[in-house]
Amino acid sequence: MKQAIELIINGETYDLIVTPNVTLQEAIREHLGLKGTKAGCEMGTCGACTVLLGDKPILSCITLAVECQGLEITTIEGLSEGPTLSNMQKAFVRAGAVQCGFCTPGVILSSTALLKKNPQPNVNEIKKALEGNLCRCTGYNSIIEAVLDAADPSGHLDHQQDQEIKL
Amino acid sequence: MNGLKLVGKSVLRKDGPDKTTGKARYTVDVDLPGMLVCGIKRSPHPHARILRIDTSKAQKLPGVKAVITGIDTKGIKHGFVETPRYLPDQSILAYDVVKHVGEEIAAVAAINHEVLAQALKMIDIEYEILPAVFDVEDAMNPDCQVHIHPNHPRVKENYCNIAGKTQTQWGDIDAGFKEADLIHSDRFESHLRTHGYMEPQTAVADYRGDGTLHMWISSMGHFNKRKKLARTLKMPDASIRIHKAYVGGAFGGKIDLFSHEYCVAALSIKTGRPVKYVASREEIFIAYRHGQPLISEIKTGVKKDGTIVAQQLRMINNAGAYKGSGVVIIFLAWGFTMIPYRVENFKYEGYSIFTNNPTRAPLRGHGAPQVRFAIESHMDIIAEKLQLDPIEFRLKNARVPHEELPNKDNVHNCGLIECIKEAAFKTDYTNRRNLRPKTDRLDDSNPIKQGIGLGVSAYFGGSLIYPNGSSAIVKMTDEGSVDLLTGAIELGQGSETVLCQIVGEELQLEMDDIRIISSDTATTPPDIGAWISGMTYVTGNAVREAAAGVRKKILQVAAEQLNEKTENLKLANKSVWVADNPEKRVTYQDIFQASITRQKGDTIIADGHWRTMRDEPFHPSLASTKGRWTENYAFSVQVAEIAVDTETGEIKLLKATTVHDCGFPINPQLVQGQIDGQVSLALGHAFMEDVMMKKGYTLNPSWLDYRMPLIHNVADSKGVDVITENYQTGHSFRTKEVGEGLVSAILAAIANAIYDATGLRLYSTPFSPEKVLKGLKQLKKNRGLL
Repeated sequence: MKQAIELIINGETYDLIVTPNVTLQEAIREHLGLKGTKAGCEMGTCGACTVLLGDKPILSCITLAVECQGLEITTIEGLSEGPTLSNMQKAFVRAGAVQCGFCTPGVILSSTALLKKNPQPNVNEIKKALEGNLCRCTGYNSIIEAVLDAADPSGHLDHQQDQEIKL
Repeated sequence: MNGLKLVGKSVLRKDGPDKTTGKARYTVDVDLPGMLVCGIKRSPHPHARILRIDTSKAQKLPGVKAVITGIDTKGIKHGFVETPRYLPDQSILAYDVVKHVGEEIAAVAAINHEVLAQALKMIDIEYEILPAVFDVEDAMNPDCQVHIHPNHPRVKENYCNIAGKTQTQWGDIDAGFKEADLIHSDRFESHLRTHGYMEPQTAVADYRGDGTLHMWISSMGHFNKRKKLARTLKMPDASIRIHKAYVGGAFGGKIDLFSHEYCVAALSIKTGRPVKYVASREEIFIAYRHGQPLISEIKTGVKKDGTIVAQQLRMINNAGAYKGSGVVIIFLAWGFTMIPYRVENFKYEGYSIFTNNPTRAPLRGHGAPQVRFAIESHMDIIAEKLQLDPIEFRLKNARVPHEELPNKDNVHNCGLIECIKEAAFKTDYTNRRNLRPKTDRLDDSNPIKQGIGLGVSAYFGGSLIYPNGSSAIVKMTDEGSVDLLTGAIELGQGSETVLCQIVGEELQLEMDDIRIISSDTATTPPDIGAWISGMTYVTGNAVREAAAGVRKKILQVAAEQLNEKTENLKLANKSVWVADNPEKRVTYQDIFQASITRQKGDTIIADGHWRTMRDEPFHPSLASTKGRWTENYAFSVQVAEIAVDTETGEIKLLKATTVHDCGFPINPQLVQGQIDGQVSLALGHAFMEDVMMKKGYTLNPSWLDYRMPLIHNVADSKGVDVITENYQTGHSFRTKEVGEGLVSAILAAIANAIYDATGLRLYSTPFSPEKVLKGLKQLKKNRGLL
């Protein structure tokens, strides 16, 4: 039985008609064409599909779209404004915390949620917040650097090339 | 670095903004109007004869647009290696016999996933189950009753299921062993691991009315992929266009032609509609190619002073059901053995053996982690027996600059000795080893034992595999910026960034002035691909040559415009000026305009080409190792500092120090990223990851049960670049590989650190808690502590 639902994604309201088994990830990627949200395993094990429900990171591949009726969702596309990247996005570029980039949207959203809740996290708190996000390329070292830098840009990362970090 | 503008600097990734904002497009993100979805019917059995395939019900299901089976692809063979010795042996879809679980039998194109799932279930296949063999030594046993393929016709030994053999020797092995004061033998085993690329295996095909096939593939080298697609589809190369898409990780697992890539193409041709395939994570674990477990038997003869006088190796590789890269790894294992240390008398035999397991692929390092784990453990064991300092022992036998290897390759400015010394110095290795008697290590009250260990590795870069070299085009635009056209593929390593750095350096441009158009077989020149660890060197030099050609043309036109000799001119800020008169200048924009208006309309464009060993026609023989391999060897030494919890058997890698001769680092931040990633991969290899298989079935086909390192497992990783080469504008440069070799020495270092911490010598990976506890218990028993 198909259902009509309303999803509020990155501040915009979308009307969808979906069967109840459609996941939020499928709704976002396939129905709405927002491809920034990634699907790495579709069984809730890798974190690539992470989106924010309110301020909370959730796994969109194991969340049903119909459960998100009327709720506010942020995807990776919702963090930048025009050519301007969010501080967290900039920090990931600066720290070299991006390689293949497939896990990056999910990791950045989990990190963004962490700083909203805890603006000055220590390394252990960062690890706790990102424990559900697999990254195969970076070994996580630069990801930790990026989150620390986003929280406190006066740290040791080089900010000389900052004006070049834009779309 | 001296006088350089972009090269040698940690320039930020060019793809960073796209990848952090969700704008980067991967193959999984490609959606085309009217696109169908493809699914594959796979064998549930490790070895069975197909008696009957009935697709009639599936074909009649509304929404199913096409079904293909082995009848449609009969006679088409492909393989990782396709040479006269190693003929292609894989079918696109199995026709008569399936040889491993997950082998492809039929492919379906349907309008959506629901119809697809139903159709796959409706394909009815009747099998006759055949006996199967999984263990490599059972399979090679002369009495083995299971014959997966006929033995390789040119290997006349009394073994079964031989896929291939590599053998080589030099010096006089018997005389060498006679000279030795100590002869020591060990046997090491490595286990099955997988790549864990985040983007699944995926491909999209769109066959259009004009007879061209457009494809998007999560790949590691589009030109090699296209060649194999063209051959199997019986289409001209030029009729297949593989488009650019970012690649969400590969680590060796996306080389070669995969059945699904052919199937989406064939189904698109058949239906006239775009077709997409995305493998599920479970399929990737069950049916796709993993890395390669290797058995390494080593016997070494050493003199009292530490000189290695003879070494004999026998390697056995469990290749799975088809040759795959199994016949390559036995060649590479020889290479990874012979590079770092001088051995005057040497004998090597490597066997690749068929079993009823899925086919194998390269996995970052392609044998080097397994080989270096074995040899570096063996080196430490020998050093202790001869009471030699392990650093001195290694230094004594290490290759020196400009030494010729037994295969006639030269190591050029080899920095191995410097790496060993620097690694020992930076980590205070000698002082921090546990020098107290080993029996002390297990009987004090602290259950946490710390240890330090060291390993050495070396890796080749950029050898001859189709298309053997890379080409590039640089063309100037009306504004005086440039476009770089390169077939190089960005799969995370940062190719687009380093290639733009090189263009920027040669033409004194900013990164923003360079637009890169990459990995599109229709618009970019051929490229060697991101899979033999030589892209920065091979493609980088092609790009440099193309940029140098543009530089030359810029200077020629500027010389005419300024009425000066070209040698008096300098380049900066998108303009050319006279060295002793900076006021006298002309901008790139004006130069371009002058060129197209005055030089008979000639635009400013140049191409560049690079191939290693231009005098060498082929890759060396996989069977005999004869022939030159590369002109570009990288060396590394890694030190592991670990803590062993002797109560739980858990080990933590506290710190990894990587000292490597990387030649010249074009982008140090990207180099460090490669180091960190490889340390992480190695610690997964060492402690966590294990594809558990029983009778050909994968028991842990998800990331819940196949444990890859999480952020909690992160190790402190320090990289030290030993720079043995330089970069000079207008000259070719040598960078050495940093993408694969550094998973290897660290694995060996971890094994040696476990011994240092506890006295426990482990001869097989993974170093799991069970194995550590069992080993410690035995050790305590032996010492009368239990």
